[in-house]
Amino acid sequence: MNREILALCNVAVRKHKALLLSGIDLAVSENEFVGVIGPNGAGKTTLLNVIAGFEKFSGDLFLFGRRQTEKRSRLTRLRVGYVPQMLQVDPAFPISALEAVLTGAVGRAGIFRSPDPDCRREALRLLDMMRLGHLATRPLGHLSGGERQKVSLARAILQKPDLLLMDEPTANLDIAVQKEVLNLIDEIAGREDLTILFVTHDFNLLPARLRRVVMLKNGAKVFDGGIDEALAGETLSRLFDYPLETFERNGRRFVSYG
Amino acid sequence: MAEQILEALSYPPIQRALLACLLCGASCALLSVFVVLMKMPLIGVSMSHAAFAGAVLGMLLDVNPFLSGLILCLLTAAVLGPLSDRGGIAPENLLGILFSFLLGIAFLGMGILTQTKAGALNLMWGSLLTLSLTDLAVLAIVTAVLAAFVVLFFKEIRAVLFNRRLAASAGVPERMIYYALLFLTGAVVSANLATVGGLLIFALLVQPGAAALQITYNLKSFFWISAATGVLACGLGLAASYIFDIPSGAAVVLTATLLFALAFVFSPKRRSMKGNVLKNDRR
Repeated sequence: MNREILALCNVAVRKHKALLLSGIDLAVSENEFVGVIGPNGAGKTTLLNVIAGFEKFSGDLFLFGRRQTEKRSRLTRLRVGYVPQMLQVDPAFPISALEAVLTGAVGRAGIFRSPDPDCRREALRLLDMMRLGHLATRPLGHLSGGERQKVSLARAILQKPDLLLMDEPTANLDIAVQKEVLNLIDEIAGREDLTILFVTHDFNLLPARLRRVVMLKNGAKVFDGGIDEALAGETLSRLFDYPLETFERNGRRFVSYG
Repeated sequence: MAEQILEALSYPPIQRALLACLLCGASCALLSVFVVLMKMPLIGVSMSHAAFAGAVLGMLLDVNPFLSGLILCLLTAAVLGPLSDRGGIAPENLLGILFSFLLGIAFLGMGILTQTKAGALNLMWGSLLTLSLTDLAVLAIVTAVLAAFVVLFFKEIRAVLFNRRLAASAGVPERMIYYALLFLTGAVVSANLATVGGLLIFALLVQPGAAALQITYNLKSFFWISAATGVLACGLGLAASYIFDIPSGAAVVLTATLLFALAFVFSPKRRSMKGNVLKNDRR
């Protein structure tokens, strides 16, 4: 049986009198790949922010067996990687793609110490894996949205986290780049020793390795189970309050309006 | 003319003025990298008015104006960091509110001040030729601390400037870096009240960094170019002030603006960015 990496017990977030999350119970084991899905405003990003330590919450949250608040030790933060929805950067900002990836290793190196010399080699290997090796010295602001998203992914992996949180990493990308990023996420899930929480609102853009789905609606957990059950038209229609159908093509399930 | 300048440089007050001016250029220019890259130009205005208000209050209470200016600057930094992090107010709005509040305090103090207001006004415009050795020593120490901060925490600074949230998620002490930066801004502004003054310092906290932004994509070079621009603006400005007999603060600021204009006109980055936009459009 795999070790429990993450556990939430009755977690709630209240902001400006609005309840953004309520009564969330969730347990995630080592090397699980879990999708967090729900309509806009369901609380997906808030849940990720709570786990990442960006948001105050009530209830109990355990990471790697230890109770946590939003204030974390450096070592705990190092073990949780984060990929934002979009890596925004000013086109003139003085940082190259490689330097941006290397910022993922700064915390691990510690204050007054240079990052391990192997770090640079590892960063270049990750950029090659993302098919961005030829753009390593290019200013980050000159890369396209998809290329920046891959840099963001490489940065999070260089951090060597045990738990990787991804907040709609394929949002705002064109369809071909979405597929490319999804394939890379599948590749990472297969190669790196990682537990992954993948947030999305798009059922047609799920990584192939994702096997478990947690559904949120109005800040509450409404489903936690296997992907096949999650993608049944009835479950989805209930989640979105809209008639939806699913169909299979080339072994993959797709969602369409009913 | 060279003889005239060399002769002037033999006088201790002029030597002190030149050294202070160069230190002012270096310290403000190093800070301007943060001000420009974090897009917080108002931080300079707020801090300079905090220092000014503090100095006026110091004169009212018969306390050393530098010390009271520094204390109010550090208090502003102490309020600004946590409020912008947890108060749910955007830092630019918060700086705007603080700036006007501190300006109000300064003018209130000026109104109440019964003694001559020349001393207070000197803190607004600066007074290079009346600098004491203590002023110079304080400025040198503050500049050295700032330079050491940049060198020692360079990789953390890069991560924080790039993205504060990602830096925090990667285990970088981003709050410590951000707060240290606010305190250093307060210290640099207070230390420079006597050189270029609380009003004109704003230009030196923005223009050298803005000039470097036109030139390089490398953060290390960015710091060097910014520092060189600040030092050059102060050195040339002071020389122009002596040669043409014009106010030194104004000459320094106008020289900094000229250097920024040159960087903007000949910016290799603007050209490469234009090319990149066209390339992305064609993709």
